[in-house]
Amino acid sequence: MNERTRLFGWILLLVTLAVVPLFLHSARWIDFLEMTLFVAVLGQGWNILAGYGGQYSFGHALFFGTGAYIQALLQVKFGLSPWVAMWFAVSGGALVGAFVGYLSFRYGLRGSYFALITLAFAEAFLVLSRSLKSITEGGQGVQLPLNQDPEQAIATFQFNFAGPFLSEYGFYYTIFIILLLAYGLTAWMERSRFGAQLVAVRENEDAAKALGINAFKVKMGAICLSAGITATCGVYYVQKFLFIEPGIAFGPGKSVEALFAPIIGGLGTVLGPLLGSLFIHGVGEMTKATIGQALGGRPGVDLILFGIILILVLAFLPRGLVGLLEAIWKRLTGGRNA
Amino acid sequence: MTKNIQNKSRRDFIKTAGATTALTAAGVLGAPLVARAAGSVKIGIVHPVTGWAQYSGSQARFGAQTALDEINAAGGIKSMGGAMLEAMLGDAQSKPEIGAAEVEKFNEGGASAIVGAYASNICLATTQAAAKHGIPHVVDVGVSDKIVSRGLENTFRFGPGFGAVTKAGVENFLAINAAAGSPTKTVAIVNEETTGFGAGIAGIMTKGLAPAGIEVVEVLSHPTPNKDFRNIALKLKEIDPDVLIPSHYYNEGVLFLRTLQRQKVQPKAIYSVLGGASSQFRFVSEFPDAAQLVMDCNHWFDPSNAAALALQAKTNAAGLHFNYEVFLAYTAMMFTVDAIERAGSGDRAAIMEAMANSTWEGSIMPYGATKMDNGQNTGARPLVTQVIGDDIKVVAPADYASAAPIFPRP
Repeated sequence: MNERTRLFGWILLLVTLAVVPLFLHSARWIDFLEMTLFVAVLGQGWNILAGYGGQYSFGHALFFGTGAYIQALLQVKFGLSPWVAMWFAVSGGALVGAFVGYLSFRYGLRGSYFALITLAFAEAFLVLSRSLKSITEGGQGVQLPLNQDPEQAIATFQFNFAGPFLSEYGFYYTIFIILLLAYGLTAWMERSRFGAQLVAVRENEDAAKALGINAFKVKMGAICLSAGITATCGVYYVQKFLFIEPGIAFGPGKSVEALFAPIIGGLGTVLGPLLGSLFIHGVGEMTKATIGQALGGRPGVDLILFGIILILVLAFLPRGLVGLLEAIWKRLTGGRNA
Repeated sequence: MTKNIQNKSRRDFIKTAGATTALTAAGVLGAPLVARAAGSVKIGIVHPVTGWAQYSGSQARFGAQTALDEINAAGGIKSMGGAMLEAMLGDAQSKPEIGAAEVEKFNEGGASAIVGAYASNICLATTQAAAKHGIPHVVDVGVSDKIVSRGLENTFRFGPGFGAVTKAGVENFLAINAAAGSPTKTVAIVNEETTGFGAGIAGIMTKGLAPAGIEVVEVLSHPTPNKDFRNIALKLKEIDPDVLIPSHYYNEGVLFLRTLQRQKVQPKAIYSVLGGASSQFRFVSEFPDAAQLVMDCNHWFDPSNAAALALQAKTNAAGLHFNYEVFLAYTAMMFTVDAIERAGSGDRAAIMEAMANSTWEGSIMPYGATKMDNGQNTGARPLVTQVIGDDIKVVAPADYASAAPIFPRP
């Protein structure tokens, strides 16, 4: 696929994502798209570190939760504007990433050891958020005051009661803008010297070092960027649901969501997490609406079918959906633009 | 040859998958239109019927669905010429965001009201999503007081919240203790600290018991899930408090009480507040010895109410356990239907107004006439139960008691 075709494909995809909610006129499907884009951004955060850098994390909820808690606590405890709090939240997530990265990479932890240390940190933060009750409200979680005044909607970064347009599309375009930034940053990284060095470290760290690449610095850059993007998802979650508690913030759920989308979509590709998220949510919704509806008295059967489909994708598409798309494109063009 | 076969099967696979995807997509997008039936009122029922809260969510769904079936069998909504109730079932998968997404589906499908969603964190998300569309939402179980303190006009809770249950827990305990000649001098609290409900118990209990001269000598917190209570049991054996006040979820409740039995920890009483297992028939039938004489201040039905006993028989016949999830969801649905009946239409605003002004008295719960204050039924209160033999009896307050409390334990 040549550059021009690729660019055209991206523009088409992004324009579609930008305008499709305006034609949907359905809060249900807009919400579906919102959560799809949310997981696509969460997945991109993980993809930068694992897909491009080869550092597989099992605890990305650590960064999501840090962002979410900072965003919530700065508003509730210190009365900060959400627009100010979000910078602290994203920076806080990146700082935690730097801390974990420094401890891990400084001592040469790789592969399963790095995966375990990220999991351990997420668990430690889970325990801390439950124990430090005077700061985090413990297991009760943090609830943001609800704003129902449409005139304060933008100031409070709450769009549920923000009047006709914002209440319908406010959160969709928020996550769409976050997606544009995260994916733009990833696309820039892919073409930059930093991105090339990161891929070199992934392929063979010792060889990369022999070529003069500072592997520690490159991996530190990747984990900070990855953690910052993931923390942004935490900010978004808190503003949309106005509530965060330890299980949601640091539990394994978000870590699994973050890694599923890029693995299914295509590791180490810009498009992969978005395709993966669309696939996961699309298939999930379809199995729920067909098998789930037909067997209403037996909840969870749709989830079994969903699991089977995921296993089939992982078994037959080792390069993910991006690999499938490339293969289809190659066949269509007879390999001319491959 | 092999390559050909592989290529062919892959192509076939992709074709089949594509066709299935297209067909199911058409099904999904068309579903809301097909589902609309004339002369019916739709009610969204959302619970976590998969995920960590699956057991309780399924129990709650049964309660809500049973209430709805009973109304339909009795001729539907009379003020609407016998309009039938139609359930729209949603699975929150034990996640708040999925619960909120289910509310969006209910809105598209034309639900007039919503009942759910068991866990407090899911209720916070579903009530907020429902408020956006002006759909009345009756919370069945969620005990967090944050649910009804946000000024959402669409949110109603028929049962008591965490604060009311704990306050009643203190008052009833003091009354039982006083009637027995005040033998309690020391208390130990064992509470879960992972979620909202358990985390606040210790503070409220300590504050409430102090004026009666009862000292809280130890607060032992544990996470949920917790797989081993031996250390806590041994500590309790060492402290030897007069009364133990546990508060946790079902699995931890069972394990804790069984560990106490094995370690021979025998205080004058075990008095749970929102005890996960202490007033569950399942626990009593599976571990009758560990459950004996355990008291619990929790959600409970009026034991003299014939409809409650009929529901109990129906639940047992379905192979389920008659726990608080069942009768709270059942009552929340009945409250919703009463509001629809009085509103005389499926109009959301009219139903909301009927709920806010409700004086409904037909409940199987010991709440008296309904009076809503900021969405909370102010008459809602828990009862104190005690396991006596193979049954669970109400022992306090006196006006609902079906047996006298056995305190202190012989």
